[in-house]
Amino acid sequence: MAAKRFKKVLVANRGEIAVRVIQGLREMGIASVAVHSDVDRTALHVLMADEAVAIGPAPAGESYLVGERIVAAALDTGAEAIHPGYGFLSENADFADAVEQAGLVFIGPTARSMRLMGDKLSARRHMIAAGVPVVPGTEDAVTDPDEAVAVAGRIGYPVLLKASAGGGGKGMRVVRSAGEMAAALRQTRGEAGASFADDAVFVEKYIEDPKHIEVQVVGDGRGEVVHLFERECSVQRRHQKVIEESPSPSLTPDLRARICAAAVQTARAVDYRGAGTVEFILAPDGSFHFLEMNTRLQVEHPVTELVTGTDLVRAQVLVAQGDGLPWRQDELAQRGWAMEFRLYAEDPSRGFVPSIGRIESLTVPLGPGVRLDTGVYEGFDVPIHYDPLLAKLIVWAEDRDRCIARARRALGEFVLHGPVHNLPFHRWALDQPAFRDGSYTTHFVADSFDQHAWLPELDEDARTALIAAAALYEAGRRSGHESPPGSRGGGASNWRLSALRSMTGNG
Amino acid sequence: MWMKKRYVLDLDGLQHHAVVARRGDETTVQVTDGAEPVSVDYAFVLGGRAVSVRIGARQQLVHLAAVGDGGKVAATLDGRPVRLTVMDELRAQALQSLGAAAGSGTIAADIPGLVVEIRVAVGQQVRLGEPVIVVEAMKMQNELCAAVGGTVAAIPVRTGQTVNPGDVLVVIEPEPGA
Repeated sequence: MAAKRFKKVLVANRGEIAVRVIQGLREMGIASVAVHSDVDRTALHVLMADEAVAIGPAPAGESYLVGERIVAAALDTGAEAIHPGYGFLSENADFADAVEQAGLVFIGPTARSMRLMGDKLSARRHMIAAGVPVVPGTEDAVTDPDEAVAVAGRIGYPVLLKASAGGGGKGMRVVRSAGEMAAALRQTRGEAGASFADDAVFVEKYIEDPKHIEVQVVGDGRGEVVHLFERECSVQRRHQKVIEESPSPSLTPDLRARICAAAVQTARAVDYRGAGTVEFILAPDGSFHFLEMNTRLQVEHPVTELVTGTDLVRAQVLVAQGDGLPWRQDELAQRGWAMEFRLYAEDPSRGFVPSIGRIESLTVPLGPGVRLDTGVYEGFDVPIHYDPLLAKLIVWAEDRDRCIARARRALGEFVLHGPVHNLPFHRWALDQPAFRDGSYTTHFVADSFDQHAWLPELDEDARTALIAAAALYEAGRRSGHESPPGSRGGGASNWRLSALRSMTGNG
Repeated sequence: MWMKKRYVLDLDGLQHHAVVARRGDETTVQVTDGAEPVSVDYAFVLGGRAVSVRIGARQQLVHLAAVGDGGKVAATLDGRPVRLTVMDELRAQALQSLGAAAGSGTIAADIPGLVVEIRVAVGQQVRLGEPVIVVEAMKMQNELCAAVGGTVAAIPVRTGQTVNPGDVLVVIEPEPGA
């Protein structure tokens, strides 16, 4: 197949990932088309794109999730391909089909592999056939409590009931004894039916104190697959990742080799095309089990990019153009350590409840080893309608200890006023013994975070500085000056620098 | 002649005092909590939105933003966000004389959102802790509860309305002795 060069690509997403993809396209000399809902007219991804098309009202169901409007926007603007980002339509096989039927290229896997991996039961069956280790359990949906009890007896309690169509922590229930089974099965099926319109539930062994390890893979769609090593994503709240790192502090070289080989085997089994992630559960005894495959670029892809020195968006585009993979497996290696901190507009002190509002001020960290992928800027109103992920701080250093030190430094320079956010949570996490020694599991936040007592005490000098600054600020504000007369330093040049940093997220 | 203004500040529930003095285009600040007032060297930076404070040789950069108009200020120091209330002494005294009862029966939005359900009606009796209104933000429903027992005196919002932080949602007339 002769490689074709894209001249223009539509990005079917918003926020930081749309910005990231547009930046990647621009570096490749490819023009970008943004799509946006009415409230996103001034969103950063729209401001950065070469062209932009409005696709409907604020609710995602009337804009970012309407495949026909996105395909029409691509055809109208003459884009040759669509990059779906993550979330929204990125794992929607019908959308991928519609894109290809319109004569456009979908920058992602085939609809067939999306369908196969989108259903947990079918993915599980496929992986068993391919010889990839899966969590012990049933291969088919279970409806009869007696059968579920028999399976649980065979694999041993505790077990996990899991909705086949589930995701994001919904439709899951731990069962610790036979007596709990009937009620738990009924509830899980009910929940699955209501949330996913599919009440298929299966039983698997519940692994206590698990770690979440995933492997980045890229395939050319013709059977060639390489891996870009692992990421550990065990710092989670509400079953959502908040901090990711690569390498994982939990893998020995031998375990790493085996888990990466299993990921490649998984992707080869479906002739995988493009970037994907194979997720595993790592048990305390060192056994690992296939969890699922995400058939898209992940939020946490930058840690892999920094540690392997690659550009995954570029790789996606090259594969979609038919150029094949940009690297051979033996050209890929891990160097140093990277961590990603997701900046969410949410309040850690109140159960991580989302927050919105205008970004009143934003000063972002810079300096050695710091990258910021952002979807916001100073003055931007964070809309109520979408995911509260504002930006991602990614830090690289030569080893894990230095990475932690650099992350603490960068988080200390990061200032965001407006919505309540979780940057101080990250500082808290970095100071926990279980994080520092790498022993943390997916229960880390639930076990060690106390929302009533987690912010560090302010020392006396800090209190004095805050009091003095707040009094001066109030004095200036009430007298109608931006700052009181007699103030020194500052000035427009500093302000413009800050605004520029906020706009570009230049790190 | 120096023009002095005294400020009362609340930081983490502790009260602090400061004096800002002006003469011509010169402004000084003193924190007056201890026996000896502490003078600090300062410079406004970032167009007035941050203050560089020096105590001895120790440098600290405090970023500031006003939150609403009630003297609430958000500050960040070394990555740690802090909420303060700042009021000049006269205002603080005036508010205090208005009485402590005011406010506790007022339920206001603390995040922007959409009113999805109002569970009470004007004139209705509510108990302490009873859910009275549901505000949705980012697909999360937040149930706001009565902080006092009493009678619902006013509901200035309706279902489907978008609200901003500080908007009053429900006013409860506290029961005597509640």
